[in-house]
Amino acid sequence: MKSYYITFRSVTFAQRGERLLKEASVRCSLRRTPRWMEEQGCGYALRLWTRDIAEAVALLRRENIPLRRVYGALGEGELEALEL
Amino acid sequence: MSYLDYGATSFHKPPQVSRAVERAMHVCASPGRGGYAAAEQAARVVFRAREEAGRLFSCRPEQVVFTMNCTHGLNIAIRSLVHPGGRVVISGFEHNAVTRPLHALNAALTVAGEKLFDWEDTLACFDRALQPGVEAAVVTHVSNVFGYILPLEDIARMCRDRGIPLIVDAAQSAGVLPLDFEGLGAAFLAMPGHKGLYGPQGTGLLLCSGDAQPLLYGGTGSMSREQTMPEELPDRLEAGTQNVPGIAGLGAGMAWVRRRGPENLLLREHALLTLCAGKLSEGGLRVFSGPHQAATLSYLPHGDCEEEAQRLAEHGFALRAGLHCAPLAHRSAGTLETGTVRLSLGFDTTREDIEAFCACAARGKIRHPR
Repeated sequence: MKSYYITFRSVTFAQRGERLLKEASVRCSLRRTPRWMEEQGCGYALRLWTRDIAEAVALLRRENIPLRRVYGALGEGELEALEL
Repeated sequence: MSYLDYGATSFHKPPQVSRAVERAMHVCASPGRGGYAAAEQAARVVFRAREEAGRLFSCRPEQVVFTMNCTHGLNIAIRSLVHPGGRVVISGFEHNAVTRPLHALNAALTVAGEKLFDWEDTLACFDRALQPGVEAAVVTHVSNVFGYILPLEDIARMCRDRGIPLIVDAAQSAGVLPLDFEGLGAAFLAMPGHKGLYGPQGTGLLLCSGDAQPLLYGGTGSMSREQTMPEELPDRLEAGTQNVPGIAGLGAGMAWVRRRGPENLLLREHALLTLCAGKLSEGGLRVFSGPHQAATLSYLPHGDCEEEAQRLAEHGFALRAGLHCAPLAHRSAGTLETGTVRLSLGFDTTREDIEAFCACAARGKIRHPR
């Protein structure tokens, strides 16, 4: 189980995403976006733990919830932006 | 006091509403701004109220914008769609919340449908008025003076077929009649929180189908380095700290309405209204009643309407007289010079209230002020 961040442009979309993922039994929590992840400043993100981030992202997109970015650990190192 | 002024505000609320307001004042900080528990709690309260509105009116949570009242929402909607001097179609029963913003834009107005309780005439007038070049139609769902329920679904269908954006003023219908935002296909639907939804005063909702122009600019807790307002709803229209206690109360009010069912609430109130109309007519008063009427009724007293409302107040009946901020509706009904006395019923109005009121109204003295 890996940890990821999905960032959003508004708290409302982050909340919709949280509702949707939890209904799909994906463990996640709402939090402020770490400053370094959002160059435009101030936002909300979901931190989630899942084996299949691509599926979680696809679920959000199917429900028309716009995402900013997805971050995850590629290896042992720090979080990096993922292309999904 | 018998409160018969639900068209102005639902002065009496289900007890859940004030409990939700008080709780929010104790546990909610600023929503959408921080990551600590009280800020998160505020964001949850606001989001749940959006979800509740989404369930009640068939829309997505982000389409729900919290406003300070219905007038606020109508101003946003009108400013988003109507250019200065633009052509707009309105019904003959619009409130000043619609006509004044349009007047400020010097809009070219076509008034469609001035006959009370006559769907055939209303639809024929809209059919003639909704022509190419019209920037928007603005329609009240229920007249705040006469309770006339306009044929909204048919008007909405005409607007959809002709590509004309529709703004709905649901000031008197939200929480009273079923409303399906998605089904209507309206551009905007504005409503107060403090009338048929039983929320606190200072709350309202604007449902948005798409793009909208902000009236207020400022902080949203998102995209802070951008100096333009965010493109996304609801942030685009919600600058500044939200009225979280009010929204909490509104959420509780909407949940209460949804559990009861707007149609069930109206059925009961309408039965009382029919009783009232009959008794007032028997007393020799001119009553404005007919088919397609919600739980609001106007009548002409024997004397001056304001003096009569004052007399009724002294006997313990709270209702409103005059022009009800809707001179256009009075012009349509021929009561612009006299005004009317209006009573509007709510969830706790009883048969005893109505019988006592009718007995008191029938005792009104005949006065001729001029």
